[in-house]
Amino acid sequence: MTRILSKIAKKVGGPLYSNRRLIKYYLERALRNKLAVIGLAFILFLSLLAIIGPFLTHDPTLADFKVNNLPPVGFTTQTSIYDIETNEFTTIENTGTWKHPLGTDSKGRDMLAMLISGARVSLQVGLIATGIAIILGTIIGVLSAYLGGWVDNVLMRFTDVMMTFPFFLLLVLIVFIFGPSLVFIVLVIGLTGWTGTARLVRSEALSLRTREFVTAAKALGASDNWIIFRHLIPNVTSLIIVIATLSIPGVILAEAALSFIGLGDPTVASWGIILEAGQHSLDTAWWVAVEPGIMLFLTVLAFNFFGDGLRDAFDPKSNI
Amino acid sequence: MKKSWLRDYTIKRLLYAVIIAWGILTITFILVRVGPSSPADKYLANIAASGQDVSQITAAIEARYGVDKPIFEQYSDYMVNLFQGDWGWSFSTSMPVIDLIKTHWIYSFQLILLSSLFAAFLGILVGIYSAVKQYTKADYIATFFSFIGISIPNFWLGVMLILVFSVKLGLFKTYYDTSLPLFSIDNLAALVLPVITLGTGMLAGYVRYTRSAMLDNLRKEFVTTARAKGLRERTVIGKHVFRNAMLPLVTIIMFDLGSIVFGGAYLTEIVFGIPGLGQISFNAIFADDYPVVVAVTLIGTLLVLLVNLVTDITYTYLDPRIRYD
Repeated sequence: MTRILSKIAKKVGGPLYSNRRLIKYYLERALRNKLAVIGLAFILFLSLLAIIGPFLTHDPTLADFKVNNLPPVGFTTQTSIYDIETNEFTTIENTGTWKHPLGTDSKGRDMLAMLISGARVSLQVGLIATGIAIILGTIIGVLSAYLGGWVDNVLMRFTDVMMTFPFFLLLVLIVFIFGPSLVFIVLVIGLTGWTGTARLVRSEALSLRTREFVTAAKALGASDNWIIFRHLIPNVTSLIIVIATLSIPGVILAEAALSFIGLGDPTVASWGIILEAGQHSLDTAWWVAVEPGIMLFLTVLAFNFFGDGLRDAFDPKSNI
Repeated sequence: MKKSWLRDYTIKRLLYAVIIAWGILTITFILVRVGPSSPADKYLANIAASGQDVSQITAAIEARYGVDKPIFEQYSDYMVNLFQGDWGWSFSTSMPVIDLIKTHWIYSFQLILLSSLFAAFLGILVGIYSAVKQYTKADYIATFFSFIGISIPNFWLGVMLILVFSVKLGLFKTYYDTSLPLFSIDNLAALVLPVITLGTGMLAGYVRYTRSAMLDNLRKEFVTTARAKGLRERTVIGKHVFRNAMLPLVTIIMFDLGSIVFGGAYLTEIVFGIPGLGQISFNAIFADDYPVVVAVTLIGTLLVLLVNLVTDITYTYLDPRIRYD
């Protein structure tokens, strides 16, 4: 498995994978941007949390009604409870404890543990769906540019049709028809989200196709396969990396939004699902809606910061 | 010379839009037909409870909806019906889908219109200022806030605005009041939070696009010429730079309509309970009422197509430099 992966990485990553000096150069350029450093640091922190976090916290599915609606540490809430026997209201004061530093939800589940397992879901969704979309988009874009003629026409008209669909509405329709399961949602986002990549890769590959080194390779008798995999794809790598980084946040948000309108996978505690539940208890437990939203916001912001830094780093015209 | 290629281009573009529309309708048809649900599913529980023969009634319902016909006949029926304005029957509200849409579209329209005006007006102003004062403190602040604006999930922003301004401060109602007349101050006040919710992401996007489009043009030679002629800075920025930056800007704003605005409006309507098309689609999801969900997606898509078509054609008439041949 690792060998196949590294083979693919070598093919697609081309000059970047085999040339450590180049990686260092671009990374240094990107990290000259302070916001990009913050973004990357947050992404790494979140990934670490998603990988080892679940071993450190409570079970996120463990409901305990004795400690439900507990606020985060440092907050106190007052809830009035009506007692039928004495016909009186008694006020219960809830104070956050360090046992549940981010509080608990209406079923008494630990928010910290739920957020960490949600991070796992969001990162997986973001990475896998973006991976599918990027691979599809690159293949379609390169084929379209290299083969030209009717292949280009058919592929690009199909891309136009797909691009006209408002992404979120299409997603809602498909998930509604075929039912919400996380694997399916990831697949659908991946299979519908490739259009932008295809367009950008196509225009880049079109200009590469007419360059001297491609003509030289052709004159030396290189096959189409060789030119596509050796010359075209490796040269769009930097473009692909930037598109991937900048499309991950959109994918994470799309999954959260689907969960928010009730089309999420009910068996997985993603941030969107927690938020959806919290929305209905704003007056009793505001933190249930606030916390997953903050996590979503910070994650999206981090990817945008880092992606923007990468784009500037790969752009030879920018002077950083 | 110019007239004739413009006409040819317009005709070509129209034909092309028809082909894309056909593609959209076909993909939607395939999705619905390949989907696992049958219109009879909704009635299965009732049929079973009343002790009738399930297979017989399922066949009757499928005949009623035309699902038992050969696939090509279904396909042509579907196309013909769409063009005749027969968009199907909404099970959950017991009315034709087209009537449902006629009563609800105005709510989506007012939300999208107000948000777009708010975002475009403020976004372009801030963007121009940010570009003219590049690398000053004001520019950094604008850039930073536009990053925050594009990263904030708009449905969460809506929930937070309700939490702060409605639940804690009590300034607004937590739900949109449908009894208000459309053209009234009260209705406008009720739309303040929804417009901020939908408009923030758009606003941030417009600030970024305007800034970069302005910067691209600020460095051009005609700007130096204009300054050398002794024109006032206001005229240079307003007439020479901004006019040239407008074109890519309008394209991007139109493109946003499909990708950001419609999805955002869908979610905003749900958060605030505004009874627009997003809300009826959302209700239909829970009622398993698929003609409504399909219709809302189709309307959104066809609108994007129409807007793109109009933008492209208007461009070629307005900008003498554009030639697509």
